[in-house]
Amino acid sequence: MMQIFSLFEHSPSVELALSKLEQEGVTKEHILVVPVDETYENMKVFNSLHDADGVSFVDKALALATAFGVVGTSIGFKLEWGPIIWGLIAAFIGFLCGLVWNLCIIKFTKNGYRKEKRVLPLIIVIVECEREYVKGIESILRENKAIGYSTTG
Amino acid sequence: MKNYNNDNTARRYLAHVSQIGTTQFHLRNPYIVAWWSMAFPGFGHLLLSKYLRGMALFLWEMVINLNAHINVGIVYSFLGEFDKAKEVLDTRWLMLYLPTYFFGIWDSYRTTIDMNKVTLLAKRENHRINSFVISPLEINYLDRRKPFTAMVWSFLMPGMGQLYLHRIVTASFILIWMIVITYFSHLAEGMNYIFMGELGQATVVFDKEWLLFLPSIYGFAMYDAYSNAVENNKLYIWDQRNYLKSAYQKYKLEIKRSRLTK
Repeated sequence: MMQIFSLFEHSPSVELALSKLEQEGVTKEHILVVPVDETYENMKVFNSLHDADGVSFVDKALALATAFGVVGTSIGFKLEWGPIIWGLIAAFIGFLCGLVWNLCIIKFTKNGYRKEKRVLPLIIVIVECEREYVKGIESILRENKAIGYSTTG
Repeated sequence: MKNYNNDNTARRYLAHVSQIGTTQFHLRNPYIVAWWSMAFPGFGHLLLSKYLRGMALFLWEMVINLNAHINVGIVYSFLGEFDKAKEVLDTRWLMLYLPTYFFGIWDSYRTTIDMNKVTLLAKRENHRINSFVISPLEINYLDRRKPFTAMVWSFLMPGMGQLYLHRIVTASFILIWMIVITYFSHLAEGMNYIFMGELGQATVVFDKEWLLFLPSIYGFAMYDAYSNAVENNKLYIWDQRNYLKSAYQKYKLEIKRSRLTK
């Protein structure tokens, strides 16, 4: 018996691959799927409940864009280019300030460092089969966007 | 039709997938939610999926703000014309503004902290949810969407990012109000002048009162679209992970020695 180890991202493709394998006669008894947890998620529990989770990349940027946008629109009524253009310029400046703020957090704090090192959760799929089916199974995995695979046995 | 019939045995559920959208518990930053309530009363509650509260506060803001002329007051204040600002504000309506405005901020802040605790409990309980709905009028299922794409659609037209994410309630609410605000602020005419290069004409044609609603609406729509795309994706991964574990862990793996070492 051979064992084919493969790696997938979370998407409908992994389920397409698994259902195709079953259609081709590989039973569930010969497939092992191990979704690998993000280490980040466990750490989050220890963080304060006030922590934004994952969305923090644009939260400050859009909040500041809105605040600056209101001021820019107001003052723009008196300036030559008018409220829309000044509103947009101010919003853009606010957005950039927010991004810079976030980049500083990522760069200079422990909290941000952890987020930066975060990897997407992955799925390990292991299929057991006879030697003559290896090629067929490998091509099913390849066609369904496996990140990579390796056969042992 | 659903892929799971809820028997209401869980103490807390993480999400609800329905015809008109996916509603979910997820961790949020209470300061950010409070900020959106500050930008526009009701937006914080809409972010929390507390739609009725959010819409009630939004309508309240529209009525009081327009009658007290708060937006015009804000424009004059930023321009430094404080006398004009004092003149334009209507005291008969203005005093109604403060208590409810601060209630909106405080209530959305408080609710976020409570809902974060519920989120952790629901995650630990890890009870199965229905993740697929097919009905004569709509189809909804968990899926991965692109956060940046959602944000760009809401930048082009607030509400479109929400439609992309199948958030029908927020989408229709924002889209309807965009019609009203675009019309009364003369946005389309002003944009026309701007594209023709007549910037002065544009400034004249805009209505201060209504135009000042737009930065908050654009900002909110973009933030709501982006953050919900991120959270929908996480929910999709959570659901897929649970399914794969339950369906494909019958095989007991035995790591075999390589033929070469034999």
